[in-house]
Amino acid sequence: MSDKIKSTDSTLLLECRGIDKSYNGPMVLSNVDFSLKRGEIHALVGENGAGKSTLIKIVTGITNRNAGTMVFEGHSIPLEHNKNAAERLGIAVIYQELSLIHGMSVAQNIFLTKEPLFAGLPVIDIKKMNAMAQQMIDRYGFNLKATDIIDQLPIAQRQTVEILKALSNKASLMIMDEPTSSLTATESVQLFKIIRLLKSEGITVVYISHRMEEVFDLSDRVTVLRDGKLVSVLEKDEISPAEIIRLMIGRALTEDESHHRMVRKEGEVVIEVNNLCSQGKLKDVSFKVHKGEVLGFGGLVGSGRTELMRAIYGIDAFDSGSITYLGKPYVPSVEKSIAGGYGFVPEERRLQGIMGAISITGNIGIANLDSISSRAGFVSGTKERERAQQAIALLNVRPPNPDVLVGNLSGGNQQKVVVGKWLIRDLKLLIVDEPTVGVDIGAKEEMYQTIEHLSKQGVAVIVVSSDLPELTRLADRIIVLRKGRIIKEFIDGTVTEEEVLRAASGIIEGSAQ
Amino acid sequence: MSVSAIRRLILIGLLISIGAALSVANPSFLTLDNLMTMLQEASLTGIVAIGFTLVLITAGIDMSIGAVIAITSMICVNFISYTSLPAYIFIPIALAMGCLIGWFNGFFITYFKLPEFIVTLATRGILTGLALIAAVKDSQGFVKNVFIQDELFLSFGETVGPVYIVVIVFFVLALATQFFIKRTRAGSNVYATGANPTAARLTGIDTDRTLIGVYMFSGFCAALASIFLCARMMTAMPEFGIGSEMDVIASVVIGGTPFTGGIGDIWGTVIGTLFLALIKNGILKLGLSPYIQPIVIGGIIVVTVVLDVWYKGFAEQRVAKLARQKQMPTREGV
Repeated sequence: MSDKIKSTDSTLLLECRGIDKSYNGPMVLSNVDFSLKRGEIHALVGENGAGKSTLIKIVTGITNRNAGTMVFEGHSIPLEHNKNAAERLGIAVIYQELSLIHGMSVAQNIFLTKEPLFAGLPVIDIKKMNAMAQQMIDRYGFNLKATDIIDQLPIAQRQTVEILKALSNKASLMIMDEPTSSLTATESVQLFKIIRLLKSEGITVVYISHRMEEVFDLSDRVTVLRDGKLVSVLEKDEISPAEIIRLMIGRALTEDESHHRMVRKEGEVVIEVNNLCSQGKLKDVSFKVHKGEVLGFGGLVGSGRTELMRAIYGIDAFDSGSITYLGKPYVPSVEKSIAGGYGFVPEERRLQGIMGAISITGNIGIANLDSISSRAGFVSGTKERERAQQAIALLNVRPPNPDVLVGNLSGGNQQKVVVGKWLIRDLKLLIVDEPTVGVDIGAKEEMYQTIEHLSKQGVAVIVVSSDLPELTRLADRIIVLRKGRIIKEFIDGTVTEEEVLRAASGIIEGSAQ
Repeated sequence: MSVSAIRRLILIGLLISIGAALSVANPSFLTLDNLMTMLQEASLTGIVAIGFTLVLITAGIDMSIGAVIAITSMICVNFISYTSLPAYIFIPIALAMGCLIGWFNGFFITYFKLPEFIVTLATRGILTGLALIAAVKDSQGFVKNVFIQDELFLSFGETVGPVYIVVIVFFVLALATQFFIKRTRAGSNVYATGANPTAARLTGIDTDRTLIGVYMFSGFCAALASIFLCARMMTAMPEFGIGSEMDVIASVVIGGTPFTGGIGDIWGTVIGTLFLALIKNGILKLGLSPYIQPIVIGGIIVVTVVLDVWYKGFAEQRVAKLARQKQMPTREGV
């Protein structure tokens, strides 16, 4: 890295040098350089937590950097950069659908706050607005009508409206964060066409994706981040999916670290899922989990992992297929699942797992009301407290005070309470979806030990995780989902993080995909 | 045809058929006199409902409207009793007070990020008390019934031909407001703020300013209705308007503006107001006890909301199905 800041290259649209960022404490980004050429498609890749989102937030002015220089179109951007300034400069983020207004038409959304008015009057010229919108749509050849109401459009077309909105703002830089995560294959192809079209118009596109084949197909250059540091910037001819994955995972993988011996555990089948299908979400998913086994589910966000868990727990209905639980045919419903010995640790802890304004005692009691209340339905405070103390001791929740409100606990301890709800029951199957997101390293290790401890006791565990080291560390067997199907199963022997990521991204030797 | 258009046609159909049934049941229903009185009643509720509709479109609620009516009537009666200011001076002052109250509501909601319901409920309480304190009292301290004699003021209760002025004002205000929300940028901002405040802010809309404006308008509408009410009654009481929230909410909900925000318009509210007035008038014309009025209104609110929620679920499923069908053929080809 050069010590001097070079004079700004005129082919560069954006040039960031030595960007530092920390949110009270650990460095999220340190000394990161990031530059964009005019009219290029630039992929930004890295594992979860590598600092991609933070970098984007700095570029768009949602957060401010602590140090470093930033030059956009020859203008030096001050440290105190803000969102409005970014917008004025022509930096746009394409949100999945976040910034569209439901109930309004395509044209209204594109021109919101800058609707064409009748000359001299504060009155919107709707005809003109629709015509202008239609003209833009036709120019780019999109399959849209200006008068379509947003609510009735599929996600892919809503995204197109987002792009049009950015175009109408004269954006010269568009940032797309996982734009294909909820698109079908055909829709994705359509989006790539649009991205190339944008490029041909001289617009720079930053493309963030976990899907290596997309990055490989589209990008002119790739910036790889790891642990908040710049690892490498690859030029077009250096880009290969395998190379990117190697750079993303980074550290030289030693035998011990990367190879976790998976042990096949066969015995009593706890749950068997056969040909589960759910329209648009899951296709022909079949698997078994044995007593005392930890089955890992890998795959990209949006690959159907969470949907699968919700289906077998009984939250969402499925279209076809069957489930056998403890040897009997089983049609899941949440009540039956709980009564039958399921435990479920959902993905979004704050939203689905805890009741923040209620004490540890209350949170644990609520899942165990049957065992703490009398026949008449009165809850026994003593029993409830005993249960809570039991769970606190079992999982080492800190502080070990059953009266603390769960909302005031750290992320790791909150997660322990969610697990604790199920631990004190006669647990047969535990489903955990992303168990350690937002959890500190110490608590992570404890969570792993809890899961291992449970499986030793004969509980069947299903772990869904995007964290590859986590998956390889815990699982006895790993199934990788891609677009709602099982694409690969790692049964025994060894598996590397790289292999899992390759499968999840669709790069498999001899695969039909 | 869109969902809301079908809904509106059904409502108009009901309006006509109930009207026809009432004309048969009681010949005194279909008289010019009765119809004009009914329209006058409807307009008093309707003017308040117009402001309330805008609040609902922003996904808010204004519980203070009834109390604004009370305090405005007390402001007027105090001017009349203790000053010799002409009506063309104190009426604008009274209307401005309505806006000011709305500003306070909006300010507390946006600046302190308080729930709309709590803020406006508190305002309602404060204004209700203030209205009683401000009431003109006799020597023993009892609320005095002041007869308004100011000619200009009373002329607000008059008619043009057979039509009450308040009816004309209601329809003009409805037209203007409908135009405002559908055809101006500020109007678009109202919808955007209600449909998705985060998205609205991302697009550069000052949602706080929009909200404050909407609550000010709601306060203004309530104050305006109060003046027509006093002119019609030829007096003012501190209880005026208290409890009228029920009729206003019923009118707006029947009109098809949901509590979830981002949807709704003034035409729906106008139809809802007429519908409600017809039901109330019908209860009287059928010789039923006026005590069942609130029961019937409450019932209608529940039925309307149940049907709306049911139909919304149905419509969403249909849209999802259509979207899936659109995707299917291409999917197979991959």
